[in-house]
Parts: sequence; structure tokens; C-alpha cells
Amino acid sequence: MNTMIQTYQLTKTFKEDEVIKPLDFTLRKGGICALIGKNGAGKSTFFKVLAGQLFPTSGHIHLFGKSGEGAVQARKRMGFMIETPEFFPDFTATQNLEYFRIQRGVVEKKRIYEVLQIVGLANQKRKRFKDYSMGMKQRLGIALCLLGSPDCLVLDEPINGLDAEGIREVRTLLLKLNQEKQITILVSSHILTELQLLAKRFVFIKNGVIVDDVSKESLDDKSRKQIQLKVDDPAKTARLLEQTYEDIDYKVLPDDTVTIQNYIEASGEINRLLIDNGVLVMEFRIESLNLEEYFLGLVGDDR
Amino acid sequence: MMNYMKSERYRLMRKKSLHITTVICLVLITAAAAVLYFSGQYESSFPYATSSFFYSNVIGNTALILIVALLFNLALTGKDMSLIKQSVSFGISRNTIFWSKLILTLSYFLVVCVIGLLLMIGLGENLFTSEEHSVRYFLIASFNMLPIVLSGFFMIHAMKMLKVSEVYIVIMLLFIFVISGDVLRTLLKPVSGLDELYHYAPSTQLTENLMKFMGQTIHFEISYWITGIVISVICLLIGARRFAKQNID
Repeated sequence: MNTMIQTYQLTKTFKEDEVIKPLDFTLRKGGICALIGKNGAGKSTFFKVLAGQLFPTSGHIHLFGKSGEGAVQARKRMGFMIETPEFFPDFTATQNLEYFRIQRGVVEKKRIYEVLQIVGLANQKRKRFKDYSMGMKQRLGIALCLLGSPDCLVLDEPINGLDAEGIREVRTLLLKLNQEKQITILVSSHILTELQLLAKRFVFIKNGVIVDDVSKESLDDKSRKQIQLKVDDPAKTARLLEQTYEDIDYKVLPDDTVTIQNYIEASGEINRLLIDNGVLVMEFRIESLNLEEYFLGLVGDDR
Repeated sequence: MMNYMKSERYRLMRKKSLHITTVICLVLITAAAAVLYFSGQYESSFPYATSSFFYSNVIGNTALILIVALLFNLALTGKDMSLIKQSVSFGISRNTIFWSKLILTLSYFLVVCVIGLLLMIGLGENLFTSEEHSVRYFLIASFNMLPIVLSGFFMIHAMKMLKVSEVYIVIMLLFIFVISGDVLRTLLKPVSGLDELYHYAPSTQLTENLMKFMGQTIHFEISYWITGIVISVICLLIGARRFAKQNID
């Protein structure tokens, strides 16, 4: 079974607010997929629906090819960490994991020490959860996900609250889990540079709708180049571009910079067009985008 | 379900507040017995140093017992509820969570009730003037109370699982188990055929039970069990059905 997660026309509405609009999504066995969206885009809600914490308003979820009660059982093969992981504050890491070990029917007690070792908390196992730092709590959350030896991890903001060293450690850990244990990972984070280092596939979500779904190669290709212009009259520039190139994809940024995503090959022609029509071009650059810039170009920069 | 129950038992056994509440309850029973005993020793005309009066403190204090039931139920349905989102994510069904938490907290509560009853009988029979059949009457009265107390426990559990706040739960308990009889009597007095319905109200039955115990006319009452079972079934059906459809966020 190659398909781990599949949703068909999935929606979730809270009262009048349709947080997830009909959403089709498929996650196949293998890589690391990043779900990217602004706050309120519907990422956490989508994860919660996948985790069974929220019921979908309509549509279907198939986990490992199973729906309904089968999907409930299939969650035993998955590890979810959504928002801040919850544990008993007065329990130590070992006690907390023991509680979940019993609950999940993991036979071998030594698995607790294995997962603590994997996330680097083996030396802190006797410390109470309430005394843990945010980063340690996140790592314990990942340890919990790994407890049942899952085939698939769904992690919402797993590097939230971690320092630079912690972020690097979690990145290394996730890559290791993916490459060595063949665990498929669906992850979200607001630190897009990290996702760029981690993921092989990027799914962009805006207002509950998937607006783009690209592979790393395709993203690299798509985000390779764009024209950036600094002009004295952005409005006139926009008018000229629209009149000359019917399907031109351009944006006027708040600092009056004009960016053009297509017609890269016609950059000289565009430059001449503007100059010939009396637009003062103060800066003309062909830039490549990183994930963050690509994301902002896609979903807007009003976050 | 067994795995979930085992994990909850692991949690329950390490819940200090629960054990402290248990100890406090047993200490209060002992303290009440001591106060009555020493009052009887120092004042020869003191009329309450009897086992019947001592036992009546339990028979007449259902509200207090239900508050203790609430505290016991909170052991697994209080702050710990924030962890159930993880359990659900790991494929534990909502039904399993609802019933497991109920079975465990109820078992603990019943064990403490039995210990409390034995302690009371031990203290009552050894410290006070023993009255004829007082233990038997006490046990019958307690048995009559049992379904009503259990229905209160089920009501607490259902409401806690549906995230009703403790304040509203206490208000509901007071309404149903303390004043429901008076309310029904007043409201239904003019309605022919329903004017006797208040006899089935839990508060009326609990008062009757106490009066009969004190008057030594106590006997097993099926109507108490009917009331208790009806309330229990309603609470559990509504609680389990609504919890099974509830978003856990």
C-alpha cells in the first residue's frame, strides 16, 4: 500500500466559517511533504481532521487505504504531533511514555528508552515534564510519535520553540527517520527555510484550499528566476505590461517594486518597452526566489 | 479497550490528589465519630452518641457524597482530558475513552465507598451505644441510596466528558438531588395525575430514605432503583452518544 493519506473533497466548517474547502490530498509512501500556509490557512485543522480529533463536515479520509473504522485502526500506524504536545506535568518523561506505551499496546518496555535516545532525552528521562523547556517538550512529543514504530508521521510545527541547535537536531532526526527507517513525514512549520532543507514536496494551502503542490525539483525550477524592477511609475508600468503581454504574471509590492514571474526570456524587451514609454527604470534585476518568497508570492504577504 | 484501561489505571494509581481526597474522607468519618464519642463521654445527656445517629450522617448527606464523587471523577476527567486528543490520534475510539474512564473512576469510588461503609460500621459498633438492627438498617438504607448516588456519578461523568464546567455540574446536582422533589411538587400540584410524581424525584426519595432509617421502618425500595436506573440510562446514553460525535480540540 503506497498511499498513506488520501482525502476526497474534505471540508471542515466551524459554524459559518469554512476553514477547509473541498480538499483533495494524497500522501504516498516515501518522502517528506511540507504543508505550507499562513496562520489560519487551515493547516492545523486539516491535521486535526486527519488525526480524528475533528470530524470532517463532508468528504472522506482514507488512511492506508482504509476509511471509517478502518481509518481509526490505521492511525495506530501513524504518529501525530499537532500543536503543543500534551503530557502529565507531574510525570517524568519515562512515566509519560510508559502511560502511552501501555495504551498503545507496545509490548517492549525498552522501546521507551530507544525513543528517548533517538530524540536525545535519555539523560533527562527522570525530569518532570513541567520542568522541561519548550524544545524538550517538542522532542518528547516526537518521541511519543515514534513509540509505536509508525510508518507515517504528521507533525504540526515540530520545531516551534526550539533554538537554532534544537532546530538543526530535529531536522537531522527527521531526515534520519525518513532515510533510514523509511518513515513518511507530513510536516508544517512557519520556518520555511527549514522546510526547504527538509522536504521533497511542498503543498501550499490558502484559506483552506490547496493553491499549489510542487516537488522540490519543480519548486527549484519555478522559483529559479523572476524579474525585479524599481521604477518611478509602477502604475504606468503595470498598464504597459498588461497591454503588451496578455498573460503576464506580475505583482506590485508595497515598496513599489514590480516583480514579473514569467517572460524572463523577454527581459530585454520589457526593459526597452518601459524606457521607450518614458518609465524611468532605476533597477532591473533577474532574481531567484527562496521558498519564503515563493510562498509570499503565492499566498500574499499580509500575514 | 483493555490497553486503554490499563494505561488509565497506571495514571489513576499515581494521582496524588485522588489518594489525598480518599484519606481526607476517611479521616473526616473518623473525626465525626470521635466528636460524637467524646461528646457522649463528657455529657451524659448527650442524645447523639448512638450508632443510628452516626450512620444517619451518611444517609442524610447525599449531596456531600456526590461532591466526593465529582472529585473522584475529576481524577481522570479533569485536566487529564487534554491528553485524550493524543489518544484519539493514536487510534483509540471515543467510546473506549468514555467507558474506560467511567469504569475506572467508578471502581475506585465504589471501593472507597465500601471502605467508608466498613469504617463507619466498625466505628459505629465499637464506639457508640449499639441499637438493635442498626447495622442492618444502615445497610438497607445504603443499598436504597446506591442507585441514586450512582446515577449522580454517571451524570457527573457524562457532563465532564462533554466539557461542562464544574460549577454547572454542582448546580445540576443540587437541583436534581436536593430540590427536585420540592420543585416538582410545587409545579405539578395543580396537575391531576402528575401531582404524585414528586415521589419519584431523587431528593424526595433520599429524604424518605433518611426518615425511614431514623424511624427504623426502613426496607428495600424498588422505586429508588427505578429512579436511579432511569437517570443513569439517560445520562449515559446522552453522554456516550454526544461524546462519540464530539470534536476534541
